[in-house]
Amino acid sequence: MENRDNPGKILLVVTSILTALGILLLYSASRSVSAVTSGLPVYVKQIVWLFLGVLIFLWLKGFDYRHWNKLTHVLYFIILILLLVVLAMGTGRAGRWIRIGWFNFQPSEFAKFILIIVLAKYFSVRDVQRFSTLLGGVLLAGIPFILILIQPNLGTAFLFIVIFFVMAYLAGAKKKHLLILVIIGILISPFLWMGLKDYQKQRVAIFLNPWKDPLGKGYNILQSKITIGSGGIIGKGFLKGTQTKLAFLPEFHTDFIFCLLAEEFGLIGVFVLLFLYYVFLTQALKITLTTQDSFGRLVGSGIIVMFLTQIFINIGMASGILPVAGIPLPFLSYGGSALIVSFICVATMYNLWRNTTLF
Amino acid sequence: MEQRLKEFLLIIRILLGILIIQSINLQVIHFAYYRRLSEQNCIRTIDLGIPRGKILDRNGRILAEDKTCFNLVFVPYDMKNPEEAASILSRILNIDHDELLTQLRKKSSNPFKRRILKRGISQAEIAAVSEYAFRLSGIFVQAGLDRQYTLREGTSHLLGYTGEVNQEELELTKDEGVKAGHYIGKYGLEKQYDDLLRGKSGGYQIEVDARGHQREIIREISMIPGNNLILTVDQSIQEACINELGDRAGGIIVMDPRNGEVLALVSQPSFDPLNVAKYIGPPYSHRKPFLNRVIAGQYAPGSIFKIITEIAALETGEIGEHDRIECTGSMEVGDRIFHCWKEEGHGWVDINQALPFSCNIFFGTIGSKIGVNKILEYGKLFDFGKPSGVDLPGEKSGNLPSFEESGGAINIAIGQGAITTTPIQLCAMISAVANGGNLWKPFIVKKIIAPDGKVIREFQPVLRKTIFISDETLTILRRGLRNVVRFGTGAGANVAGIEIAGKTGTAQIAQKDLGLLTRGAFVCYAPADSPNLAMVVFLDEASSSQAARIAGAIIKKIYTSDEIRSETVISETGIESLPSGSQGFE
Repeated sequence: MENRDNPGKILLVVTSILTALGILLLYSASRSVSAVTSGLPVYVKQIVWLFLGVLIFLWLKGFDYRHWNKLTHVLYFIILILLLVVLAMGTGRAGRWIRIGWFNFQPSEFAKFILIIVLAKYFSVRDVQRFSTLLGGVLLAGIPFILILIQPNLGTAFLFIVIFFVMAYLAGAKKKHLLILVIIGILISPFLWMGLKDYQKQRVAIFLNPWKDPLGKGYNILQSKITIGSGGIIGKGFLKGTQTKLAFLPEFHTDFIFCLLAEEFGLIGVFVLLFLYYVFLTQALKITLTTQDSFGRLVGSGIIVMFLTQIFINIGMASGILPVAGIPLPFLSYGGSALIVSFICVATMYNLWRNTTLF
Repeated sequence: MEQRLKEFLLIIRILLGILIIQSINLQVIHFAYYRRLSEQNCIRTIDLGIPRGKILDRNGRILAEDKTCFNLVFVPYDMKNPEEAASILSRILNIDHDELLTQLRKKSSNPFKRRILKRGISQAEIAAVSEYAFRLSGIFVQAGLDRQYTLREGTSHLLGYTGEVNQEELELTKDEGVKAGHYIGKYGLEKQYDDLLRGKSGGYQIEVDARGHQREIIREISMIPGNNLILTVDQSIQEACINELGDRAGGIIVMDPRNGEVLALVSQPSFDPLNVAKYIGPPYSHRKPFLNRVIAGQYAPGSIFKIITEIAALETGEIGEHDRIECTGSMEVGDRIFHCWKEEGHGWVDINQALPFSCNIFFGTIGSKIGVNKILEYGKLFDFGKPSGVDLPGEKSGNLPSFEESGGAINIAIGQGAITTTPIQLCAMISAVANGGNLWKPFIVKKIIAPDGKVIREFQPVLRKTIFISDETLTILRRGLRNVVRFGTGAGANVAGIEIAGKTGTAQIAQKDLGLLTRGAFVCYAPADSPNLAMVVFLDEASSSQAARIAGAIIKKIYTSDEIRSETVISETGIESLPSGSQGFE
């Protein structure tokens, strides 16, 4: 195997750099005035998560991806239960977490990965050309989608829709059928809306119309743009950001971490980050293209879609071209569940590469 | 799939390209603009807080409302010299220098948001602050809202108080627009109806100059007022209770026995709702100023429980009206000796004499005759051991013991041993005796009205249950209760012109470090023949006859004061007249 073209290894290297960059940014974030919250600084907590993530990665690295194929039923069942538990307990900011000690577990993050392998299996063994198969897929994705929607976690729910359509399209669904699905979706969404409880409607309304909370969210967008813009080409320097340090943005260690990078490392930092993401996505695509079985291909492309959509929505939101949605930036945002799921995805990708080349 | 996958590369390039373009747009093309905004840090948020609705008594008199006040605020970011500001302000405001400095230096999640340093400053303080304005950068005077309570300490256990939202509460109320620094209801009705009392906060986003002074208003959001509560409570009766109770530790609840409307609720010691912090530590804390004794004080009912024993005895037919028992001052049961409170004994008494004189030997004897289970069964009928359901937070349920833990029939028959009740439960019980068996849920809020006058919610009386008590039993019991006041242990409540019926109760309670303590209580209703008022008075460290005297004085005030009579329902006719038993008693 020549070293020049080894997408598996490149993927691992890029992942390591991104993760390290994330810890660096969280370190910077934890030095701000608003990082006075109780407990350990966020970067320390993230390092703990990272260790767990690496352990899981090492364990899964040797785990043949085709085994996921057999586990889909069990995993799908487990995630439905967990999503129901979240709804029943309803802790956390918007009721997305299950709390066990200081350990916050976010099932909707895991649901993304499970959706990918469940759909990959479903589409790989059935005739996607038939409309009924497509409807079956809708049902499969629809149940966890609804459970996540009413948390409400609209960002992740939207991600579900994108993953479903792209995977169906790649699996070979007819464009005409997909169009019909979109039309049906638009037609039934008012009924879905009526099924929501009042407090859920209220949360969704605030999400869709940030001006309902003008002192809060509208202010965030403006400050977010000031933060990115003021970084200029070379940035203000590591730990020297003023906007983020002075806490104009309440959530810059999670959803707005891109601002921190843009402020302290400027356009150069942004270039580097997007280049790393570009390399990551293209190498993943390369692996997916060399994978021979359709299950593996669908899993690979699902993972790519997931990362790409998250990157685009998160940075698009921070830079003011998309509405505010709580979607983490892969490898960078603070959050254990998201980090672990990202590592599971990378391990799976790596495995796709290893098992293909071993043929 | 191959072909479709390859389209992917293009999509990745396009999407990441868009992000690069937007970054260039912000960081290169508009760099100067954003850098200037960032360097000047010139956007400030002014949050004027959440307005709260009024709390009114049943006649529309204001018990609590928001008043406009002036607050001294500061913007952490604009504080050029916190030490100097602290030393100047500590002289003007008379607050400890170090305490001020800690507040000014306290880290904040948004240092560009104005924070309140002191609420409700006086005109003189405003004048003094403006005099030093040039040395007080980052300090401003800002209009705000201050909660005022007409009766201050007198209603603090009823209305409660408001305070700055804490982290846990913030998590729960975030979606309702509550933010750090806002005030929410913490106790009493302010807490119970917090979500309805709270309006929507308003404020401004302003652009400021280098000294932090306003240059222009970028956005203005107006406040939306909250809803008003109309209570069942009558301010005049509440005041009468406050005055008669004075400084004594204890409490009073007055209720309309026909529907459960609470007319007054006082618990002492109490606290100043505008200065809650002062009462948290010594010397106040050991007197438990935050315990609402009326709903959360769990005490042995003592002789008041003889009412239940009497009902149980008469209803089960275990004893007839004229069956007599000799009280020699004590009785022996097994190897234990029970004493009557009257050492020399009451002699031969029947139930008509035993209740007014509260003879322990009589009730102990009939108690052991009917047995623990029967008494507990009747206690359960009156919902002892269950919260009354009043609309205040923190109500306790008391304890209706099981057979095993009851301490025996004699103890339970005279309200001693493991049984405990709250004063509000006793009030619901005596109301049921007064109205012939209806156990009402006590309630305090009658109506909730929107700022525009629309009725949002109207609370109707809730009948928890109707307890069947025969007319014969009621006649004997009511006559006995009337005689308690005419010439028995509750004679202190005897008021000329008003027929009061009641029962005294005393419990000796061992307290840590204090030795034995006597808690005296008195339950009553009036007028005896058509009751429209029920009351419980209890004192932490005094006799039951003192409690009876206080009850009498309050009832006299209620029925003789022109002010109260003209305004309240007390002057309306009561329930249809009761079966009149023979009042003669020798």
